Amino acid sequence: MFFKHPKTLVLSLLLLALLTTGCAKSGNATQAPTGNAVKLTLAAYTTPREAYGEIIPLFQKYWKDKTGQTVTFEESYQGSGAQSRAVAEGFEADIVALSLEADITRIETAGLITHDWRSEPFGGMVSTSAVAFAVRQGNPKNIHDWADLAQPGLQILTPNPKTSGGAMWNILGLYGAAKRGHVTGYSADDKGAQDFLLAVLKNVTVMDKGARESITNFEKGVGDVAITYENEVLVGKQAGQNYELVLPTSTIRIDNPVAVVDTYVDKHGTRAAAEGFVDFLFTKQAQEVFAKYGLRSPGPEVAKATAASYPPIQDLFTIDDFGGWKQATPTFFGDDGIFYKVFGQVQGIQIGG
Amino acid sequence: MSLQTTIESSNTNSTYQPSLPWGRWSIRFVALSYLLVMLIIPLLVILQDGFSKGLAEFWRQISLPMAWHALQLTLWTSAVMTIINTIMGTLTAFVLVRYDFPGKRLLNGIIDLPLAIPTLVTGVMLVILFGPQQALGAWLKDQFNFSVIFAPPGIILALLFLTFPFVVRSVQPVLMELDRVQEHAAATLGAGAWTIFRRIVLPPLSLPVITGALLSFARAIGEFGSIVIVAGNIPFVSQTAAVYVFGEVESENRLGASAVSIVMVAIAFGLLMFADYLRQRSKGRTA
Amino acid sequence: MSVSSSSRTAQLQIQSSLLAWLDRNKSKLGKWTLIGLVVAYVAFLIVTPISALVVGAFQKGIGASIASLNDPDVFVAFWNTLWISLVVVIIHTVFGTVVAWIFVRHRFPGRNLINGLIDMPFAVSPVVAGYMLLLLFGRNGMLAPVIDALGIRVAFAMPGMVLATLFVTLPFMIRELIPVMEAFNTQQEKAAATLGANGWQTFWRVTFPALRWGMIYGITLTFARALGEFGAVLVIGGGVQGHTETATLFIYRALDERQYIGAYSAALALGLFSLILVLGSDWLRQREH
Repeated sequence: MFFKHPKTLVLSLLLLALLTTGCAKSGNATQAPTGNAVKLTLAAYTTPREAYGEIIPLFQKYWKDKTGQTVTFEESYQGSGAQSRAVAEGFEADIVALSLEADITRIETAGLITHDWRSEPFGGMVSTSAVAFAVRQGNPKNIHDWADLAQPGLQILTPNPKTSGGAMWNILGLYGAAKRGHVTGYSADDKGAQDFLLAVLKNVTVMDKGARESITNFEKGVGDVAITYENEVLVGKQAGQNYELVLPTSTIRIDNPVAVVDTYVDKHGTRAAAEGFVDFLFTKQAQEVFAKYGLRSPGPEVAKATAASYPPIQDLFTIDDFGGWKQATPTFFGDDGIFYKVFGQVQGIQIGG
Repeated sequence: MSLQTTIESSNTNSTYQPSLPWGRWSIRFVALSYLLVMLIIPLLVILQDGFSKGLAEFWRQISLPMAWHALQLTLWTSAVMTIINTIMGTLTAFVLVRYDFPGKRLLNGIIDLPLAIPTLVTGVMLVILFGPQQALGAWLKDQFNFSVIFAPPGIILALLFLTFPFVVRSVQPVLMELDRVQEHAAATLGAGAWTIFRRIVLPPLSLPVITGALLSFARAIGEFGSIVIVAGNIPFVSQTAAVYVFGEVESENRLGASAVSIVMVAIAFGLLMFADYLRQRSKGRTA
Repeated sequence: MSVSSSSRTAQLQIQSSLLAWLDRNKSKLGKWTLIGLVVAYVAFLIVTPISALVVGAFQKGIGASIASLNDPDVFVAFWNTLWISLVVVIIHTVFGTVVAWIFVRHRFPGRNLINGLIDMPFAVSPVVAGYMLLLLFGRNGMLAPVIDALGIRVAFAMPGMVLATLFVTLPFMIRELIPVMEAFNTQQEKAAATLGANGWQTFWRVTFPALRWGMIYGITLTFARALGEFGAVLVIGGGVQGHTETATLFIYRALDERQYIGAYSAALALGLFSLILVLGSDWLRQREH
């Protein structure tokens, strides 16, 4: 019967062909390495995009020389939280490089990371940065430290903590600096910190989805200052943007973890290459590349070598001072966490109890 | 049976049922599975997820201050946009149908442009053009403390862009079909242009105008791609329901995401059912 | 007569002739005011942003714009978008026709409800659509065991992106076909049946040609919508650069990477393509009538 209707036949064949090519394209994720070729999928957050752009070819050469295996990479860069969620929900990344430990923990909790990634060098942290400010050239609003952010009429950009790891670092940096007494005009306790947070949040104009969107918005001329990573500002300047970096006297150290995703590397048969890649990231060579692209090295050797570009910060505190992410996330960013409670006050709304 | 009686007997039945090789039921099965898989199951899944912890939790999630404000913002910006769009859309359709002027065909083509631009790009364009760093945006901010972009007016602007074709294209065909006899009669009786428009032209247009308006509103409620760029997304100020849902999905608050989604879907569904009801009623009238 | 009174008379004369002119040309004035209002509105709302897009794309010249698109990632992204859109169009054309047929020719319980549901994807936020699919096909999703057993990946892969696009484009074809089918005179179908044609032949040779225009417009709308899909695909994920990225995801990434010319040029290319489709089918339809 079908041959009486050639059009139907052609249409069905076309549909079939399209479907199979499509499935073939997407199905390659579960290919096992064939002999001397292996494919690694890297899921990273947006900030180190440029750094990995340079590190990956270096690793490819290194690995080929060492094992004779050719490694190809599939890379995905998006907001740390979004990336972490994607992996936990089924995005089969072999290696994850994220902005904060909590995002790795999420993948751990999903049962996908089963080894002790913290036993890697520097506690599994491949790079660090610090919360800093991007200001317009010439610093017209005279922003030199946290306290200056509370000046009325200032327009501040910071991303949304719901979708951005960077945003969480920003808030914690702000809070910590105030609580530790480094913000003049505010008491060195929780009340002072929350008052300061309120004052700053009043000035926030735009809350982008991610740290990178936030800084590119700033580049479009929006706002007077962007609270961001020191790293983002440096990379932006390298890309030709003419804003200035302001390092506050007291800020939080942003630690960026990397880990192999056990479930997927075993599924893809790429464990050796993946672990090789992660190990490579801690070598002097890779660390120097990170330093080249605005990221501080946790390794003392490279840190000392690049001290000129990365001046030491007067009062540098860490997430541990907040009891780790396990405590910080619900305390600050839960439904009635400190952040949302204070944010509600900006609009005169009561949140929680 | 003669040809005539065959047709006559078919006419007694208002629906014509052709015989198909695989039978009526297999065709129904195909249609039903398609709809089930593509439409009904996804909707059911959200319903199930939103109510999975009971009605109380569902209510709690949507009455969270941020969620509530997001829903309110979405509704009022969409409503304002719909009003403006209805007026300007009807006017545009009127001008296109009733008048001749140079560039009319160009204008007619431009109407459909918003359908061709990805929403993401719309957002970017509006920020670049009307953002606070640009001449117009900066001037408005300095003079009137009025922000367009990164504030609710920016939301309305983006929505106006996106939904522009709906009212115009809804009204245009009906307007073209209108019989102008009554208008001429009214004119000879001394009625002014505005009176003629209000009492003779507008009534038969009321249905397409309302349908177009409802479509715009329904489309606007869920808009994401342009809003996430243009609105500022400040909770309690410029964060719409769709952006809020996105935030909840990203931060693992599944129930919150599902609950607010259900509200959005319910509103849209109500509107579309109403628009459909109006369509049916008009068909009944003209049949 | 004093100077002031003569100038006053002149003033009154000018005023009265102005009023007379206005009165005579009231309708013309009204007409041009309205036209001016509409043109100004469209110029501000539609033309200006799109011009900004064009300017942004060509800010370093047409050569730079084309060069920015001459990138393997761009080709992959556009190919993916095209491929997804084609699959979606084909599936909706086939199944949409079936559904429209059922609707118009048959009566069944729940018809009104399903009729309303068909319009849903139009109004549902793309974020919600993507999220729905995630609930179904994510790692802890309802259908996770099924797809795991089949060994295919849906979420964060092409199939998920196709499904997301299928969802958001569902109404267009059906909505275009139903009125056309309703208006279609079934006499011809009945005649064909009495002449011995079976159901399939009747459909293919009698009904289908009459549906042409509804179908063409439905295809155009579906295609244009599929080309621009962003929100749902963003949530269901899978846009790995150079592999499963779509054109809109590429634009999004390019903006993030400060590749503004590339982003605007890609947006322009995408917009032009959709525009040609929409305007083309408009023009075809006008020619027909």
